[in-house]
This record gives sequence, C-alpha cells and structure tokens, in this order.
Amino acid sequence: MIELDHVTKRYGAVQALRDVSFRIEKGETVGLLGRNGAGKTTALNLITGYFPPTEGTVTIGDRSILADPRHCRRMIGYLPERPPLYDEMTVESYLRFVCELREVEKKEIPAHISEIISLCGLEEVRRRVLGHLSKGFRQRAGIAQALCGSTEILILDEPTVGLDPRQTVEIRDLIRALSADRTVIFSSHILSEVQQLCSRVIILDEGRMVRDFDRNEPESAEIRFRLKIAGDGESVMKRLQHLDPEIHAEKLPAEEDGVTEARVVLPRGGDGGAAADRLFRTLAAAGLAVRGMREEKETLEEIFISSVRK
Amino acid sequence: MKAIWKREMQGYFFTPVGYVFPGVFLTVASVLFYMEILSQRSGDLPSFVSEMSYLWMLLSPVLTMRLLAEERQKKTDQLLLTSPVSLPGIVIGKYLAAVTMLLIVSALTLLYVLIVAIYGTVYPGELAVNYLGFILQGCAFVALDLFLSSCAATPVTAAVLAFGANFLLWILDLLETAVRAEWISAALKFMSLYSRNEPFMMGQLSFAGIFFDLSFIVIFLALAVFRMDRRRVGR
Repeated sequence: MIELDHVTKRYGAVQALRDVSFRIEKGETVGLLGRNGAGKTTALNLITGYFPPTEGTVTIGDRSILADPRHCRRMIGYLPERPPLYDEMTVESYLRFVCELREVEKKEIPAHISEIISLCGLEEVRRRVLGHLSKGFRQRAGIAQALCGSTEILILDEPTVGLDPRQTVEIRDLIRALSADRTVIFSSHILSEVQQLCSRVIILDEGRMVRDFDRNEPESAEIRFRLKIAGDGESVMKRLQHLDPEIHAEKLPAEEDGVTEARVVLPRGGDGGAAADRLFRTLAAAGLAVRGMREEKETLEEIFISSVRK
Repeated sequence: MKAIWKREMQGYFFTPVGYVFPGVFLTVASVLFYMEILSQRSGDLPSFVSEMSYLWMLLSPVLTMRLLAEERQKKTDQLLLTSPVSLPGIVIGKYLAAVTMLLIVSALTLLYVLIVAIYGTVYPGELAVNYLGFILQGCAFVALDLFLSSCAATPVTAAVLAFGANFLLWILDLLETAVRAEWISAALKFMSLYSRNEPFMMGQLSFAGIFFDLSFIVIFLALAVFRMDRRRVGR
C-alpha cells in the first residue's frame, strides 16, 4: 500500500533521510520511532507528498506520489505535529472546507461531517471557533480533518505531544478505534504509546532505518526464561548447564536465601508455550525444584536503546 | 480552487479585515470625492477613479499580505499542500478571493457615480472604461502583492514588501521623467502600470493596456506558483 524505495532527503547540506526503504501493507498500524531529528517527520512528509524525495520513490497504492499526486493525496489524511487549523473558523465550517478541498461530493458533505464529528467526539464544540478550543479539542479537530474524504491512510505526526494525561488517553483511544479500518502510521518518541497502539515498529536513527519489526511476530529463534530453583547456587547452576546441549544457563543475583535465580536460553522450536513445556519437563526430569519460571521478553525500550546510536 | 476561494472569503469576513478594508477605502475615497467633486461642483469622475487607483495601491497589501505568508507562518500550508488541489489551484483561488474584494469595493464606489448622476451628467461608456482600467490595474497589484506574500515568511514582511513594490512602480513614472537616457526612460514607461492606465482614465479602451495588465497578472501568478514549488522542493 505504501512503499518507500531507497528514499533519501536532503535539506541543503543536511541529510534528513538516508536510503530508507520499507513497505506498509493495508490495515497495518505502524509506529515510527526515533529520537528528535531522527527523520520521522521527514519520512511522513514524503509519504504525504508535502515535499518530494531527493532520491528514490514513494508509492501509494500502485502509483508514484510524484507522478499522480492528486490520486495519492486523496487516499491520505495527514495530521502534522501542529494541527493545521484556521483559528477564525468554526469546527463545522473548517471540516466543510477540508471536505471540499478533498473533493467530497457536495450532497454527501453534511452527513460525512456529522459522522466525523461524532467519531472524534466533537459534538459539543461543533459550532465553536477553533481558536477558542482547548488543546485536546484542537488535536481532535486536527484528526477530524485528516478523516475528511475517502482517506484509507491516516498519518499522524506526534499526535499526543503537549496533551495532558487524560487527553493523551482519549486521543490514543481514538487512534485505536480509527486503526480498525484504516492503515495508520504515526510517529512518536513515547515508547509506551507505540507499544499500545502499533502492530509494527520502524525505528529511525540519524536518518537511517535501523529496525523494522512486527511486534506480534517472534523476533528471534531463541526464547529466554527466568528461573527460580530451590537449592545452592553452584550445584544448581552445574546441573542446569549439563541439562541439554541446546539449553544455555547463566546465573543471576538471587533475591531470596536458598533459591537460585538463573536465565536460560533455548531454541524457540514453535510457540513460546511449547518451549516452556519442554524446559519444565527437562527441569523436572533432572530433579530440580522449580519455584518460579517466566518468559523474558525484550521490551520495546530495550530494542530501541540497542538500535539507536549512543 | 473554489474551496480555496470560499475559505479566503470566509477568512476576510470572519475577521475584521473584510469590514475594515472596504470601510477605510470608502472613507478615504469619500474625502477624495468631496475634495474633487462636491467642493468643486465638478462631474470629473475619470480623475476621481484615477485617484482611487492610487488608493488601491496603498491598501492592496493589507488584503494580500496574509494570503500565502500566513499559511506558511501558521503551517496551515501543510493542509493545502497535502490536499488533492494543485499549486496553481491554490494560488488562483487565493488570487480570485482578493480580486473579489476589489470588485466589491468597486461596486460600492458606484454610490459616488449615483450622486454625480443625480446632480450632473455621467457618460456611461467613458465611465465603464475608467472602471475597467481601475479594476485591471487593481488586479495587477493584487497579483504582484500575492507573489510577494509567497516570498515572505510573515504577513507583516509581506505587507512591507508589497507596499515597497507598489510604491516603486508608482515612482517609475517620476523616474521616467527624471532619467535623461532615452532608452531607460522608454523602458520605465513600458513597465509603469500608471502609464499603461492613462488611456483608460481618458476614456480610451486600450487593448495594449489590457494585454499588458493581463500579462503582468499571469507572470506574477506563475512566479507565485514557482516560488511555492521551489520552497517545497528545497525544504
């Protein structure tokens, strides 16, 4: 649906994006992660056709955004970091303007606006002037304008930046609801937000794409467990290390007396449950008294920290 | 394009500009009308229309300053530039909104014509040509000032640039008489919007004048499109 092919963007001497390639399929919710200045906004602006790439191609649907900008832009709704609102207009007149801009049939506009207003929770302010709205409502109005027209792709640049915690939760819920029937790409440097909303994460650092992974798919062929086993540390570790040539164990600092804590790594071999069963049976067969066992997953924070340059 | 035009018109009339601008124009025009026509007991409408074109030169930057510069300053241009509307569509929509204001103001000044018609004689043919000249010249100033708005980062800068450029065009006439070199003088005369407007104010329909004004408009609108495109590419 969206494809960036070896895209580079330079602003004079500054290289904001360097040879970035990725493909986003219909219905995905993708988070663009990166530190400030990593190239997130540049990537989003290239996808929306706000400006062209210096090198490479951006394809939306099956068409290049440079060759057929009108067709591509009709598919995209974009909320920039600062919502593009005309302060003197009311919410309703603003949405009407955006619908006209996006070539929505005149007779369909009133129903379309009502639907968007209801979806974005703007009923109580629909006749109020945008300049008088709170930041949360302004953000909602910004998202509402991105929904005008037949937008299949929703692009949101830091949608919760500057909002209070309650507004942040509301906007997240709204994005979650919108992602049910749209392709959503949003940038953020709030890891928890990406964790909650995205099925896929792309990490950018200094203009380069350093990681692209699906959060639902296992990242590696190995699985890690943290174990608590009754007994003296040295003898437990000796037995753990000789359990199976495929199981690797390392000792961890213990929190309780008489209990040894260890991390074991073994081949995933199917889903996590199968590996856990296999490990548990192996431990039981070896006569080790298991007090606790839990899978250790690499957190998004760990992935992010290991991906970006220090 | 129609959506852009409509929004700009709302922008004028949802803010004081849409009321203050015609108000100020008509107040100053009324003073000129009193001085030129009423106090002199004259029916010389062509001179009055000619003076209105100077007034438009002074006030046009107020109308055009925010058209593109404010979009850039407030980053609302992101909405326009990521919409299916083309760059020429955006520029022409905004241009037509400012021209609509010019036509509204022109229509309101017909009140003065009505006053003269009551107490004296109005020559409709001559007056129509006078007004055509005034409107064409006004459209040319709007195009120039819109281009300058596309170059400026803020509306205030756009207004200062536009006022400077309009004033420069005005003093080309004075320069033309001051310069001794004939070819420079001819070139200045060729470029002067005011010289081009003289036949209209004398009631003569000048096709050369019409062609010049239309060319001037097309060139500056094209420059505004080009400027916006360059800025987008070079971002």
